[in-house]
Amino acid sequence: MEILIYGLINSVNLALIALGFALVYGISRLPNFAHGALYVVSGFITWTFLRRLELNYLLSIVLALVIVGIVGALIYRFVLIRVRGMAISEIIASYAIGLAILEGFRWCGFKGLTYTLPVFVPGSVLIFGIPVDYHRMLVVGIGAAIVAFLWFFTHYTRIGLALRGMAQDERAALMLGIDSDLMAVVAMAFGSALAGLAAVLLLPLGNIVVEAGYNILVLAISVCIVGGLGSWMGAVLAAFLIGFAQILTVVYLGAHYQMVVALLAIILTLIVRPSGLFGRQKELEERV
Amino acid sequence: MKTRGMAVAVFLLSAILCLLPGGKALAEKPIVIGCPLSTAFVYGWDAERGIRLAVEEINAKGGVNVGGVQRPFKIAVIDTRDLEPGVPVSEALLAVEKLILEKKADFIMGGPIRSEAGLAAMDLLSKYKKVSILTTGVLTPKYHARVAKAYDKYKYCFRITGEAKWMVGGEIIPCLLEIGKKYNLNRLFIMIQDVAHARAGGGIIAKVMKKKGWTVIGQPEIYPTGSTDFSMGLLKARREKAQIILIWMDMPETSILLKQWYDMKIPALPFGSIISAAEQPGFWKATKGKGEYCLANVVNAGNAPSNATPWTMKFVNAYKKRWKIEPEAYGSSTSYMAPYVLKDAIERAGSLDSDAVVAALEKTDMMGVYGRIRFDPKSHQVIPSLDPKEGAVGTIFQWQAGKRVVVFPKSIAVGEIKLPPWMK
Repeated sequence: MEILIYGLINSVNLALIALGFALVYGISRLPNFAHGALYVVSGFITWTFLRRLELNYLLSIVLALVIVGIVGALIYRFVLIRVRGMAISEIIASYAIGLAILEGFRWCGFKGLTYTLPVFVPGSVLIFGIPVDYHRMLVVGIGAAIVAFLWFFTHYTRIGLALRGMAQDERAALMLGIDSDLMAVVAMAFGSALAGLAAVLLLPLGNIVVEAGYNILVLAISVCIVGGLGSWMGAVLAAFLIGFAQILTVVYLGAHYQMVVALLAIILTLIVRPSGLFGRQKELEERV
Repeated sequence: MKTRGMAVAVFLLSAILCLLPGGKALAEKPIVIGCPLSTAFVYGWDAERGIRLAVEEINAKGGVNVGGVQRPFKIAVIDTRDLEPGVPVSEALLAVEKLILEKKADFIMGGPIRSEAGLAAMDLLSKYKKVSILTTGVLTPKYHARVAKAYDKYKYCFRITGEAKWMVGGEIIPCLLEIGKKYNLNRLFIMIQDVAHARAGGGIIAKVMKKKGWTVIGQPEIYPTGSTDFSMGLLKARREKAQIILIWMDMPETSILLKQWYDMKIPALPFGSIISAAEQPGFWKATKGKGEYCLANVVNAGNAPSNATPWTMKFVNAYKKRWKIEPEAYGSSTSYMAPYVLKDAIERAGSLDSDAVVAALEKTDMMGVYGRIRFDPKSHQVIPSLDPKEGAVGTIFQWQAGKRVVVFPKSIAVGEIKLPPWMK
């Protein structure tokens, strides 16, 4: 039972971490390697509003998400737009921005244990004899709500439909009057805010540390590659595959193989099915 | 007229500076101490603070007498990043070499901190004949064993802080046995980080505790550096009815482990052989008290307040005054003592010549912050003891009501070990 409960929790955590990355790539074909840095930025902004300016916790979170969304949009508007379509340059530029942000925080003295966020609901409960804290349960609930919201948003709102149009065929979308650059800005803002949302949900369980930015990026990339780059539903499914595989590895092989699971998943996917579970970019080659 | 006035003012200012204590020393060529430290981590920044504090005190009192000339110490720090996950050992070696070749360091002090990096740096120190005093990290007994085995090659390497062999046999195991006897506990679960010193330490503890009649549950659970989820290990400890969880991890994520331990109300006492997060004074606030009852070994006295020697609280208070916080982790008091020990050795040697300083360091015998400081002349390891009058004394404390209460060894303890209410 503990494998089921903690496998589910771990999977939802991974899905939350990867959704923003998957969304940005799915719509604008942009691999946002600053994703991990934006995750950490959200944590530090929330912490600053909450601890330094002593704002309300919910207000701090909302403000942090808005700011991170704007930062993401600005990164696209002023940097990434210039290298759009050049895959290697996109990776280098976004990774460089992420690196500058993370190392900038470290240089400014944001290190140590001081930076923590409180859990939303303290305490724990026994589920089938297994102790689970309320915050983790809440994260699972919010994670499910976000997936449902994303589905609704991309199917029933004008912006969501425009984003889907872009994701399906950018040229056709342009012919229908959809501004591709504007949609890419929206996607980047939305993806950054999702990275921020993952941060404010998961960071209360630990500390806000610069190093988390690198780990989060690796996890997001592995989930998206397994799920199929560009497919956010694929990312959710891959999060469950990797999430449960990690927990099973911890139980049956040892905790130190946990990180290997994510990296092994990338290698295996690239060998067996380069497009991932729901990706389409190598579909033709795979069929042939 | 204006120019002449300026010249007089500069002359007067220079004269005043020369008359100030340390003024003459400051005018002489400084002795450069190169510090390769992982400065983004507590073991790095705390060591740097310790060294800086001592150097400031020494320079304020006139500096170091080198063959009749008063010279100041000067610090050069390079971030080795060796405590960060995924950073190769070669980074730390580059930092050490840069300190020697570019910063012209006369001595090396502090790190590298990670055992693997410390061991690799020994050959560099030997190549450049640079005297090094390790003050933090590198707990592996291999370090001083290598000095003893190939003395002529590695004689420049000294370690003024504790090492795993003594820590385990002389402090951790006696402390565990004491807790076991007091509360009738004998089921041990071990959680360690995937690094050389933790693997070695955890393995030895498991072996010895089995011989002592304790039940050691399974193999030590090994976590990669940077792990952020310990729930499955904790659930195993709960399922297997562990009574003490021995933790050996030097990563900051250990605060997550203790938060999870508290949230799950695991009925086992967390004992940090090395547990970086719980060592720090900010831990209580960071975990909102969830780490209460956690025991933490800070290797040497002075890294948490106690009255081990008359110098201990003097150091703690000076540190607090300078850095606005108590010493945060192991490596603070040892890093503070190292410049004093080096000063003493240089003054006795009368020069900065490496071989002369090595000979002088071997004859060191001074009462410091954490007891009597002497080096084993064959292995260059500081001589440990449970009595501060005899050697370098360790410290194990327990978090109790927001305070770091020293509970072991008995000679310096100020409180008793307590169990969390959900264990009773």
